[in-house]
Amino acid sequence: MSLPRRASAQLLHWFAFAVSCLALIWLVLRGAERLGYSWHWRQIPRYLWTCADGTCSFGPLMQGLLVTLEITAVSILGATIIGLCTAMLRLSNSFVGRGAARFYLETVRNTPLLVQIFFLYFVIAPLFDFERTTTAILALSLFEGAYASEIFRAGITSIGRGQWEACYSLGLSRSQSFQHVILPQAVRRVLPPLTGQAVSLIKDSALVSTIAVSDLTMQGRMIVAETFLSFEVWFVVAAIYLVLTLALSSLAHAIERRFPRIA
Amino acid sequence: MKDHITRADHDPIIVTEHLMKTFPGPVTALDDFTIQVQRGEVLVVIGPSGSGKSTLLRCLNGLESIDSGRIVIDGIPLDNHEANRFAIRREVGMVFQAFNLFPHLSVLENINLAQRLVRGVRKSEATETTRVLLAKVGLSEKIHSYPDELSGGQQQRVAIARAVALHPKVMLFDEATSALDPEMIGEVLDVMRRLAEEGMTMVIVTHEMGFAKEVSDRVAFMVDGRLVEEAETQAFFTQPQQERTRDFLRQIL
Repeated sequence: MSLPRRASAQLLHWFAFAVSCLALIWLVLRGAERLGYSWHWRQIPRYLWTCADGTCSFGPLMQGLLVTLEITAVSILGATIIGLCTAMLRLSNSFVGRGAARFYLETVRNTPLLVQIFFLYFVIAPLFDFERTTTAILALSLFEGAYASEIFRAGITSIGRGQWEACYSLGLSRSQSFQHVILPQAVRRVLPPLTGQAVSLIKDSALVSTIAVSDLTMQGRMIVAETFLSFEVWFVVAAIYLVLTLALSSLAHAIERRFPRIA
Repeated sequence: MKDHITRADHDPIIVTEHLMKTFPGPVTALDDFTIQVQRGEVLVVIGPSGSGKSTLLRCLNGLESIDSGRIVIDGIPLDNHEANRFAIRREVGMVFQAFNLFPHLSVLENINLAQRLVRGVRKSEATETTRVLLAKVGLSEKIHSYPDELSGGQQQRVAIARAVALHPKVMLFDEATSALDPEMIGEVLDVMRRLAEEGMTMVIVTHEMGFAKEVSDRVAFMVDGRLVEEAETQAFFTQPQQERTRDFLRQIL
């Protein structure tokens, strides 16, 4: 009795899916047609890579991707360290530590990243002789670190009082308890939101092209300036970012499945 | 009841004098509370809920601080000196109602952790102690399991082994069986009974009156943070002196 009913419901869902797909395709085709744009997809591959005489080399987009990968990888590490330290400062007994953490957090979260990048590039970098890439990494680490610290803080405070008390009753010190019991559980708990933050970082890294770091976005911009293939190039750039962020998400998902023991 | 301890063995390992503790509210959790526990003695603390039994245990190992009064454990005063507090916590094991095992660590790691960090025992030695203790609590085959794979009774037995692994001089039990399904209470009480037989000094907060009668040397009855009556177990249950004690015993027995 219930079986045919469920089957017909399934059919309805598939119908809705098909209609949505068709609508989307129609929208894209119609949009492209109205644009009156002549597409030149054939010219795109050579900006990704070129092969001549049996040897292949990366085109500008792939080189840009490498720069983006380098910047984001180092920045994710930096943001994690800054985030963890800030979270610990905010939870510390020292009011100076809490105040400093709070000041950093509010400043960074309430000003645009673009302004921060310019500030670091034009004001701070000359003082210390930072290179562009260093400045970019610093800006991204500081910006995402502020958000990461709130995630860490939430994770740490979400571990119940009972865990601290069990540690103390066994004679563990505060730092031993934190290192061996609280933090490992907190990290597992905040892995999903932390991954979200890393995805944001990848996307936000496009802004470092404004200080002429030759990342993926910067390379895309230069190719567009030369060739006027705006739509093709930006679509490809967007697709590369999408592949990057999806890869990161599935990596985090795999880690979560590998370590399923979340309190 | 154990018979090797009598009131004559005057060797107090826990001394408390005029303990006062108030929580914001204000709720008076301990009110001029004075008691001594002798070495090797098993003291059961009973009383209606909210009478300050748990607070008493939590003050004894410094999880809560007292407002005034004095606590001395094995000659070490529990005061504002951090070093003393940690010294006492090393000598005093505690078992909680909610087990509080570390969910990210296996049973072996749960029991090894404090041995290694607090006692500085080598890994192989810690693991050996853990194996012996797990055999004693009947959980040898669970050594590589994680807490969420164990029943409540099994978790509590691991928690007891974890505390005992540090060779404490005193064990505190804060309603160790209250969170358990009825069929699991027995296995935890068995472990506690054996610990008492081995001569461990124990302070037990429990609602299991049968168990209290059987294992304790002395019983203390608390109401509203005050010590109403304290007596040797048999005397306490057969001829309670205070009206309030009689009322309470009538209600629960």
